[in-house]
Order: sequence, then C-alpha cells, then structure tokens
Amino acid sequence: MLQDLTEFFCNVLGRAGSNMLVMAEIVDDRLLVERFNRGDEAAFETIIRRHSADVAVLANRLLGWPGDVEDVTQEVFLAALLGLKKFRGECSLRTWLFTITLNKCRTWRYRRILRIRFFSTASGKAAFTFARSADEKAGDSDTFRRIRQVVKDLPGKYRHVVVLKYLQELPTDQISRILGISRNTLQVRLSRARGMLKQDLAELTED
Amino acid sequence: MNDDKLEKLLKEADCSADAPVAVSVSLSDLRRRAGRRRVALVAMPTVAAVVIAACIFSLMPGKPKADVEQDRIAAIEDRIKQLQASTDATLNLIREVLADEREQRRLDRLEAELASIPDPVEEIQKQVDKTAFILLYQADRLYRELNQTESAVDAYNRLIELFPNNRWARVARQRLDEIQKAKPQKTSFEGDTLWKPQNS
Repeated sequence: MLQDLTEFFCNVLGRAGSNMLVMAEIVDDRLLVERFNRGDEAAFETIIRRHSADVAVLANRLLGWPGDVEDVTQEVFLAALLGLKKFRGECSLRTWLFTITLNKCRTWRYRRILRIRFFSTASGKAAFTFARSADEKAGDSDTFRRIRQVVKDLPGKYRHVVVLKYLQELPTDQISRILGISRNTLQVRLSRARGMLKQDLAELTED
Repeated sequence: MNDDKLEKLLKEADCSADAPVAVSVSLSDLRRRAGRRRVALVAMPTVAAVVIAACIFSLMPGKPKADVEQDRIAAIEDRIKQLQASTDATLNLIREVLADEREQRRLDRLEAELASIPDPVEEIQKQVDKTAFILLYQADRLYRELNQTESAVDAYNRLIELFPNNRWARVARQRLDEIQKAKPQKTSFEGDTLWKPQNS
C-alpha cells in the first residue's frame, strides 16, 4: 500500500519532483559544508559518499578511460578537505568538486606526459590503424575504441568541453563556471571540438 | 554528419568503455595521505641540505698539511653527528606516522563496525514522517483537485489522529481551519440560489 502510494506520488510529481530533489541536494550540501566548518568531520564522510562516484566517473572520462582513477579521486578529496573552509558557496558543491577534478586531471596528465617523455626513448605516438570493412557493425568495440582514442587525443581545452557537454551532460552555465570561461568562448570551443571530431571520425559517420 | 549523430556516437563509446573501478575514499585515507605528504615535505629538504653541505665541504680549499688530518677527522665526526641526528629525526617521524596509521586503522575498524549498525529509531521516524506526508498529500488531492471536502476532512482528521505530534499533522490542522473558514462563505454564496431557479 505504502509502496503504491509512493510510486503514485513520484509519478504525479514527475519532473518537478526531480528538480526539487536536485534543489534539496544542493541545500543539503550547503548544510554539510556548514557542519564541516563547525568541526563535524562526519559531514565530510557524507560528502565523500555522495560525490565520490561522480568524481570518479568524470576523472575516468577526462583521463581517457583508464579505469583506475582511485589516485586522482583521492587527490580531489584531499584538496577538497584542505580547501573546504575556503569554499564560499558561490556555486554548488558538485560544481566545485568538478572544478578540482578537472585541475587534478590536468596535473595528472601533465606529469604523465613528462614521465613518458623522460623514460621513453624514440617512440612517437603509435599510429592507431583502423580499417572498417563494409559488413562491420557500426557499434562494435573497435569503433568505440577508435572514438575514445580520438576524444583522448583532442587538445585539453577541447577534450574538456566535449566530456563535460556530451558525456557528463552538464548545463552550459555550469560548464563555463567549471572551466572559468565565458559562454561565448565555450560555444567557440565546442564548435571547434565538434569540427575536429567530425574530421577525425569522418569514415565512421559517412552515410 | 549532424551533431546528434556525433553526440550519440560519443555516448555509445563512453558506455562501452570500462567503468572506473570502485573507488574507496575515506577521511582516514585522506589524513594518511596528507601525513605522508608532510613527511615528504620535511624529509626531502633535510636530505637535500645534508647533500649540499657535504658537497660544499668537499669542495672547500685545502689547509696546511699539519692541520688537514685533524680538521678532516673533526669534519667527518661533525658530519656523522649531523647524519645521525637527521636519521634519528626521520626515524622518529616514521615511527610516529606508523603509530598514527595503526591508530587510524583501529579507529577505522571501530567506525566501520559502528556504521554497520543502523539506528532503528531514526528509520522508524523516517517511515512515520513519510506515511504522514503521503496521507496529507492524498487529503490535499481530495480537497483541491477532486473537491471531495468531506472525504478530505476525514483524511485530515485521520492524519491528526494517527500522528498527532508530526509536523504534517500541524499542516493538516491548518487545512481543516481553512476548510472551516471556507464553509460559511460557500453557503452564503448567492450563486447557489441563482442556479436553482434556472434548473427548475
């Protein structure tokens, strides 16, 4: 009986309900930050529980789907732990954590590139050969691997907008806040990123 | 190619990728990490200073032969003392960090045990609150959408009877007051009398 009523209630509220839930979550986050600032460390555990999965998914995408992103995720939450007292609440906690994630991923990639350059001898980037036979299915794993590789190889500023816009599906305002750029700049970057992707993936998308 | 197709391809490629491995972050892990970083920040400059001092010492110009041996022995003794002191300091630091980690692990275990016990009173409280809210919602719907005032009054009364101290019961009382206030206005409304002659 109770379950039926709850289901009915959810159906009636529909989209408005989900928006209310988002609002409630934002308010709840603010309360958690307040509690943490007053010395309640359990509040930070709650923040970790609530956002660690989202942060890990974003880091995984930004770093080119390596799978193991525990180190970066821990770095993000360590930075959040050290800097939460400075959080002014001008954006949602989720947006703030995403900004830290983006910066940590940038650093991680930069260090990795330096390490690779230092240790590797003479090896250019391995060319990704891709031959697509006529009877090959459009959605097979090679195709997707190729698409992921193309996204991974995009310059950082274009890769970030693609990941945030198309994969994270964040609203434009939130993306510009995370990246610290204006909406116009964001549109320009998106347009250029789309152009690059279309060019690189032309053989996959020819009708 | 249109943008929708590109977006679809990107999403499918993302879905087909390996999901990130389960991430386990806890406050104690973060504290340990911060501790290790602090140790590195202290130990690395110390080691660097010792190495630089040793280099400077080895590059210093020589003295007259008679004093050289004694000076050298004294310098080596000093260096040994410095190295011993820095080693002792580092070892103490490592011992402290290890002790901290052991303590943290013990605390983690205890916290995990504590966390695994749900608070039954809180659970019941939540369920009661949820049920009261659903009853209020139903009554509101009867009153506002379906215009079944009597049924709504029954529902509000039932809510007050079942959960007298709940916050939703307070709302139900407000609704009953609203209905009470609205009743005399409806009966004195001339629209009813205007309709009757027309129907008859």
